[in-house]
Amino acid sequence: MPKLKIDGLEIEVERGTKVIEAAARLGIIIPRFCFHPGLGPVGACRVCAVKFEEGPVKGVQMSCMTDAQDGMVVSTTDEEAADFRKHVIEWLMMNHPHDCPVCDEGGHCLLQDLTVAGGHGIRRYLGKKRTYNDQYLGVFVQHEMNRCIQCWRCRRFYQEFAGYRDLGALQIAHHTYFGRATDGQLESPFSGNIIDICPTGVYTDKPSRFTGRRWDFERGPSLCIHCSLGCHIITSARYREMTRLEARFSESVNGYFICDRGRYGFYYTNHPERPRRARIRTEEVSLDQAIQTAAQKIIQINQKNGPKAIACLGSARSCVENQAMLIRFCRVQGWNEPTYFETPTMAKKVKRAVARLDEQLAVSMREIEKADFILAVGADPVNEAPMLALAMRQAFRNEATIVVIDPRPVFLPFEFEHLPVAPDDLEPCLTALIKGAVHRSAAEKMGEEALRFYDTAPAEYPDAPIKNRMVKITQKLRQSRYPVIICGTSIVRETTPDVAADSALLLRAARGRAGLFYLMSEANTFGAALLSSEEGSVMDVVESIEKGSVKGLMLVESDPFRSFPDYERLKQAVDKLDLFLVMDYLPSFAARLAHLFFPTQTLFEMETSFVNQEGRVQFATSAYRGGIPISQISAGGHPLRVFRRDIPGGESQPAWQILAKLANIISLPGREMFSLSKNELWSWIAKEYPIFANVPIADELPDDVRVHLAQGREKLFPSGGQIRSGGLSRENSTLELVMGDWTFGTEELSTYSKYLQQVEKEPCLFMSPKDASMLGLKDRERITLPLDKGRLEMELRIVDTMAPGVIVMPKHRQLAWQKIEKWPVKVAMGQIRK
Amino acid sequence: MLLEWILGFVFLIVKLTIVLIILLTVAAYLVWVERKLLGRIQARYGPNRAGEFGLLQPLADLVKLITKEDTVPQEANKGIFLLAPGVVGLMALLIFAVVPFGSGVTLWGRSIPLVITDLNVGLLFILALSSISVYGIALGGWASNSKYSLLGGIRGAAQMISYEVPMGLSLVPVVMLARSFSLVEITNAQSARPFIFVQPVSFILFLIAALAEIKRIPFDLPEAENELGAGYHTEYSGMRFGLFFLGEYITMIILGSLIAVFFLGGWHGPLLPPIIWFLLKVGIIVFTLIWFRATFPRIRYDQLMNTGWKVLIPIALLNIVVTGALVLGTS
Amino acid sequence: MGTIKNLAEGITALLKGLATTLKILSRKPVTEQYPEYRRPLPARSRAVIVLTRDPDGEERCVACYLCSAVCPVSCISMQSAEREDGRRYPRWFRINFARCIYCGLCEEACPTLAIQLTPNFETSGRDILKLVYEKEDLLVNHGGKNNEYNFYKRAGVAMVGDKGTQINEDKPVDLKSNLP
Ligand code: SF4
Ligand code: SF4
Ligand code: SF4
Ligand code: SF4
Ligand code: FES
Repeated sequence: MPKLKIDGLEIEVERGTKVIEAAARLGIIIPRFCFHPGLGPVGACRVCAVKFEEGPVKGVQMSCMTDAQDGMVVSTTDEEAADFRKHVIEWLMMNHPHDCPVCDEGGHCLLQDLTVAGGHGIRRYLGKKRTYNDQYLGVFVQHEMNRCIQCWRCRRFYQEFAGYRDLGALQIAHHTYFGRATDGQLESPFSGNIIDICPTGVYTDKPSRFTGRRWDFERGPSLCIHCSLGCHIITSARYREMTRLEARFSESVNGYFICDRGRYGFYYTNHPERPRRARIRTEEVSLDQAIQTAAQKIIQINQKNGPKAIACLGSARSCVENQAMLIRFCRVQGWNEPTYFETPTMAKKVKRAVARLDEQLAVSMREIEKADFILAVGADPVNEAPMLALAMRQAFRNEATIVVIDPRPVFLPFEFEHLPVAPDDLEPCLTALIKGAVHRSAAEKMGEEALRFYDTAPAEYPDAPIKNRMVKITQKLRQSRYPVIICGTSIVRETTPDVAADSALLLRAARGRAGLFYLMSEANTFGAALLSSEEGSVMDVVESIEKGSVKGLMLVESDPFRSFPDYERLKQAVDKLDLFLVMDYLPSFAARLAHLFFPTQTLFEMETSFVNQEGRVQFATSAYRGGIPISQISAGGHPLRVFRRDIPGGESQPAWQILAKLANIISLPGREMFSLSKNELWSWIAKEYPIFANVPIADELPDDVRVHLAQGREKLFPSGGQIRSGGLSRENSTLELVMGDWTFGTEELSTYSKYLQQVEKEPCLFMSPKDASMLGLKDRERITLPLDKGRLEMELRIVDTMAPGVIVMPKHRQLAWQKIEKWPVKVAMGQIRK
Repeated sequence: MLLEWILGFVFLIVKLTIVLIILLTVAAYLVWVERKLLGRIQARYGPNRAGEFGLLQPLADLVKLITKEDTVPQEANKGIFLLAPGVVGLMALLIFAVVPFGSGVTLWGRSIPLVITDLNVGLLFILALSSISVYGIALGGWASNSKYSLLGGIRGAAQMISYEVPMGLSLVPVVMLARSFSLVEITNAQSARPFIFVQPVSFILFLIAALAEIKRIPFDLPEAENELGAGYHTEYSGMRFGLFFLGEYITMIILGSLIAVFFLGGWHGPLLPPIIWFLLKVGIIVFTLIWFRATFPRIRYDQLMNTGWKVLIPIALLNIVVTGALVLGTS
Repeated sequence: MGTIKNLAEGITALLKGLATTLKILSRKPVTEQYPEYRRPLPARSRAVIVLTRDPDGEERCVACYLCSAVCPVSCISMQSAEREDGRRYPRWFRINFARCIYCGLCEEACPTLAIQLTPNFETSGRDILKLVYEKEDLLVNHGGKNNEYNFYKRAGVAMVGDKGTQINEDKPVDLKSNLP
């Protein structure tokens, strides 16, 4: 390992480390424009010049282009180097406009900082400035090309790192231009990152334009909860309004970047219709009054109908604290445990996944980047967990083979092998591939169970073309040194998480190393699965309401009206209730129907924790103290001219605190009283769930910790002998309806964002060419789809990247799809009409 | 006998009331006079907004002081903090009890001395009370629990204790000459010739020591505003601050009266009625004090201490010896 | 001997001082009697702040937040916004004169010459809220101390005129041309 000396300090770094990074490790930040730790060096800007005094290279050189080598003595403060950097800045400023006051980068602009640091204040060059015309780049990114200093970061991110092609470099030399061929919305769902990385104000954040300068914001580290990955973010708030969200570096989760769903999905916090007052029916009351009323109602029902007459629904978008308090609440009251999952199948799948993910198999996104073979089963990364697609792309750039087995028309920003097979064929395909690549002896070594699994697992592919394609892939897997299996939990069958885990075990036995990565539906699905002990589902609750055994329903940050397959049935059930109590921060349909409503705080207003799909407990600090944004109170004008001490609209409280207060009123004497301290709640969690015992909570923002169920507790290879071979059971006259996610338009919280609403694509139905031609339907025709409770009209898209025998539709906000009696849905072919 | 006693008591009360009212009014107007004079000496007008020539200024000040919030610092020693201004105000008023301001009048056949009480140890009484007012300063400064106040209080205590010695010593020759501690006697002893001519050294010593004793410029170190905010009374507001303020101006009048009594012959003087002579003499002294304030800079702390101990006390002692010798010699 | 000389000198100095002050006592005061007499103040004296307009009659302020950042007592607050034609402007702009110390740093920081201090210092009143000025109270109809400067003519963003038409600018790069 090379050892070098920078500014008199010695450091030893791995081979291949650039001098600029070695210096950063010593805390010496060498100026840079084009170098970015996530993108690597190109040497375009020349501002990182340092003086090499001794060693293999000598003189003023670019520290970002020079590998650290033994014996180097580097000076960053050397006069010649400093002078060089000063001139670099001056020439970069030669064409730079004089517009910092109207530029939104001003205040956190790297170019501005370095210009000031370099002491360049007066323009000496008398020639004219080069100018460019700007482009419309869509809803997220504002373009102001005059400010460009040609560092190439944007293009390197957009094309090389993320793999999208519609933004790049045009023209040459002095005229180099960064933009698109024509005006238009950027296609990449990662486009917001070019705002973060552009060292000047060429790309600025359009939704937060003009909201304030960096120094005016209340900023804090937080988490993205728009998918199960839980990327790290930094929030900015001002005047009681969340204004902007940026990526926060995280070594093991998202790296330096985030996706646009995460970046622009937070607007639900500021939603003008967000309920901020407690309500009894439609009358606004104080929070305490509402709690009192709720307590009375609950006591009444409990006395009349017994403790099991009130059901609770929690949600997987709630933080650990809320989920845990709800469970604790129900236990103390002797109620049924709260329900977190839509259907029993979903509950089972998630719980299986959580049970099977152990410390040795679980991999982080950073480890996925290092894999050389990635096998995704029933997963659609760009749509379900966008940043995973970027992690997979990094693996692809390192020449990994990537295989996706999924019925949906999966798109990924790189080349991969897609096996579009029906949901029933996912498991057979997976086991076929594994059996092809792993020799039976590996299973033998793992014991009887493994062997049974190996022997009984089907090994056939649905059709011959796929089988032929698999020959080469199997070969690759056989040679791979670090295979990773990614397994979705949304469209797969109940047993698939287990099969994926077993496959990963076999791969590990055969290849020495293997990883397993589950995708889950929401930010805290993992937490919900860990905490809840029952496998009840919303479906069961609705049934009990219909039977009359449940008289009261309490929703804690949950909106079943969005996701329950049969909207009408749910509505009728809710109408029958004696008590319908809702705690939420969203202007949801359930909130509107509530008999009693309590406003709760969003993630940005409280200190919380979430468990991502990898079992990583992560923490967020509050960005601001809540309340109605000043801009909404004063209708755009100046803030009201009154003095007051409270926060207008600041009544919301964390749901778990409302629950605690409620519990303290209704608890019978002698029962445990709940404290409002977060630490106390966490010590309860740690006591009840030993797995959380080493979660640090005392610190202000603790580091993430992974929690995994103890190894060896779960029975391995439980699915041995159970995997049905698919295909055989398929009836030719029906199509299976698969409902998937889209990057924009399906995830609950982000659908409230007015900016994401603008980029949502109109929902459509995907069909394979084979089925379409049988039905005589053409691309982009409007068709109606028969569902159990009525028909659904939408556009048809015929794509050849999906499985035949399947139709795919998003759970889109604009689509009234909730007319389904139960999953899975089979649609008779003849019923699909124009 | 009883009637006599009651009558005497009533007269005393009436006299007290009149003296008190006059004293307080004069003190209040003294503020106005001082500000006016300082203004003019600095080529300004001084207060001229409240009433004609600003004559209602004292009233305005009073209203302001009374209506201001009376704040007590959070960490202050509350009892002592509240008490200190009272000590200062009370001591100042008490001293005036022994100051004769006229030869006495006859009313309804009763001769009424123009002094509240003619103590035969009046001079010692004055020295004793002026020592007690040190407490007001030191305690006020200490109880405020503020560094500025504390420093002011400490400075005040040191300065006043130091200068009490030369002040007392400078008066010894006066007593020797008058052969009495009673202020009336002392005044009467000067009916022919004021002591200022006999004892100029004593006069100067007393003037300097007394200036330091009442903390006026150039000896205002305890409240040096540019160093200590306002010194020992930094934390005071409203009428409590007013009491400190009042005390200061009353002591100015007292100092005028004492100098008049000790050195300028009290109410004695030709032609004019005695009380007028007395007021005139007091006025001149008070004017001089204000004049000094407008002219002299504040001296340094070391200078203050050096002058007190190394200059004033030796001279005063010498003066006593010389006077004693002369007195012995002549008798 | 030296001591006596010092003493004599000291005493004369004291007497001289006393004489001087006494002399001035008889002089006529030089004070100007405000409000009966109001002295005309120089244009650069620093009191109540205004927001000026550029030569085209447009609001100069572009709500860049520099004045609010530099203000040592944080008495300026504003919200910037975009006008329909793309011009950046303050949707509201508030100065709390109850806090302002009239240091003039805001004027110094302002890149558009929008914020300027004026000689008008007479703002005292009984209602403290009256000292909180909104944009309506601050905006004036002239350019203040400079009637010529137009920030957008130099900024290099397309606002008054297209790209390439402003002071010291080349025509925009033609993306379709291969000529150097
Ligand atoms: S647009 Fe920004 S990131 Fe791209 S080259 Fe120019 S300065 Fe660099
Ligand atoms: S990938 Fe998921 S967690 Fe990460 S930023 Fe996007 S939506 Fe948020
Ligand atoms: S003059 Fe000074 S204190 Fe007043 S607003 Fe400007 S910067 Fe702030
Ligand atoms: S510095 Fe000038 S342009 Fe910027 S916000 Fe203040 S007044 Fe407006
Ligand atoms: S950072 Fe090294 S050349 Fe740009």
